[in-house]
Amino acid sequence: MYRTAAKRLFRCATYYHGSNAAVRFPPPLHMLVPSSRFSTSENQPPADRHSTIETPNLSSSSSSSSSTNEDAGPKYEDQLALVLQASLRHVEKETNEQNAKKKKMPLPHGGPRRWVNKATLASSPTVALLTRGWSEFALIAGARDVGLSPSIIGSFSRKEAALVEYFMDDCLQRLVDKVDSDESLKNLTPSECITKLIRFRLEMQAPYISTWPEALGIQAQPVNVSTSFKQRALLVDEMSHAAGDSASDIDWYAKRTILGGIYSTTEIYMLTDKSPGTVFGRSSRCRAGRSCWESFPEMSRGGKKDMPFGRLRSLTAVAPNSIQFYFYE
Amino acid sequence: MALGTVTRRLGNKLFPVLSPTTRLLHSHATSFGYKRVNEEEKARMVGDVFTSVASNYDSMNDLMSVGLHRLWKDRLVSKLNPFLGMKHLDVAGGTGDVAFRILENIHRIKVRGVEGAFKETLEAETRIYVCDINPNMLNVGKQRASEKGFGEDGSLVWAEGNAESLSFENDSMDGYTIAFGIRNVTHIEKVLSEAYRVLKPGGRFLCLELSHVGIPIFKDLYDYYSFSVIPYMGELVAGDRKSYQYLVESIRRFPTQEKFASMIVDAGFQKVEFENLVGGVVAIHSGLKI
Repeated sequence: MYRTAAKRLFRCATYYHGSNAAVRFPPPLHMLVPSSRFSTSENQPPADRHSTIETPNLSSSSSSSSSTNEDAGPKYEDQLALVLQASLRHVEKETNEQNAKKKKMPLPHGGPRRWVNKATLASSPTVALLTRGWSEFALIAGARDVGLSPSIIGSFSRKEAALVEYFMDDCLQRLVDKVDSDESLKNLTPSECITKLIRFRLEMQAPYISTWPEALGIQAQPVNVSTSFKQRALLVDEMSHAAGDSASDIDWYAKRTILGGIYSTTEIYMLTDKSPGTVFGRSSRCRAGRSCWESFPEMSRGGKKDMPFGRLRSLTAVAPNSIQFYFYE
Repeated sequence: MALGTVTRRLGNKLFPVLSPTTRLLHSHATSFGYKRVNEEEKARMVGDVFTSVASNYDSMNDLMSVGLHRLWKDRLVSKLNPFLGMKHLDVAGGTGDVAFRILENIHRIKVRGVEGAFKETLEAETRIYVCDINPNMLNVGKQRASEKGFGEDGSLVWAEGNAESLSFENDSMDGYTIAFGIRNVTHIEKVLSEAYRVLKPGGRFLCLELSHVGIPIFKDLYDYYSFSVIPYMGELVAGDRKSYQYLVESIRRFPTQEKFASMIVDAGFQKVEFENLVGGVVAIHSGLKI
């Protein structure tokens, strides 16, 4: 959301470049620079009755105007992105400090894989540390680092969510760059490709792992859930497309839903995984992911052909099983 | 007197040449409600108005807005998002409503992420400057501050000054607010450029002002309330009909939300937005200095 308009428009070009490309998500509307001088911002909830006035230098929607824009001085979107970038470094620093403190504290439960009793966790001293990472303090520190007044934080409509969403966007961009640059992905089978991409993506979260529950909580808040859902949908779409998915009917939705489920459960497992040597132990997940993705076409065709929703029924039978497999292993 | 006549004649000659924006600004500078006055006289006449209303200002605000002005000011301060260690300037904030709210907000911030010694340094750095052209309004504010116990640690500074030529340094303020004051200035564009000058990069400009209502039937009700009820209340409670007549007329003469927003953009601010409250009775304009 805070990337430059030029980068966004370049991404649009890559989306629509191949006419035989599978159905993809169109770029979100709010990222395109509006052409009129006065515009209502499209991602604001209607109850706010907000109006945004664009500065004259941004009145052209074409990226070719970027050369004239440079004369006008720094743009607020670029400065906000710099602030968010600097704030992420503070979140990482905070996470490392928490890790150092946690090592000295006893765990509230017996082992890494047992389900934790909610009451025990709530009373644990480690919980107190889990609420300082993705916060306004990181944003204020980030603004100071960039040399701007921390007042700029007030212009974010949802402060902590802006930070988390920036991070998710940034990770998606890095994933896209990896997909575009890594030729070896084309030689892998779809499930191997998916596994590799999920691993690559989740490893980006590794520096923030101990504060990631807080970030997930922020994403789950009702006011933020639509944006975070959209970001995850884009992520899953990107991974499916990289794996060579060319479905165009209900399979398109079902595959992405299942992939989203696999990704989310792996992500949640990663939060409590204490396997030595790796940030998260993924061997069992990888195997399960592979088997699920490969057996998907057979399972989906298992439905009765004369029933209109036969295939849908078999797909809905597959999804809970795959998720159940991860939770109760 | 002669100077006034000369400027008026020149103004008439130049009139056809002036662009709509300049004409609007010119008309604001020479309007006192629905009356036409000289630019030099406007400041004095506005000063007289506020000298006479100062003692009843807060109670009349409560009466006229049915207590809503408190919520509007709360909304302004929450949009500002104050932080520990900020330097803030509240212009035309004579009786201190906005300044007190900002201080309360800062004290309520839980500083979990800040170490003890650093926290004290930041607390010492917090400064809210209240600037007003009218010393009577400032005196009322100082009295209220001492009653409520604000600013005893030196975080509240009362300064007499003109919004069109502030005595503060360039790039010295984190935030700038002007609540129900910009309507009364002679030259809006000078106030906006001064605001731009004193703000640091990253600083925010926020303006809370009575504005234009567009909703059809509500507009008529609001007009009736403004022109019939408010001056009558002014006469009854404060014994000053004319001041409150000026008040409602000056609201109508002020530029519309979009027009004012474009003036803020012209002053150099970015990410200029406005939010209508109560259907447009009040609007909060915000801008960012980069």
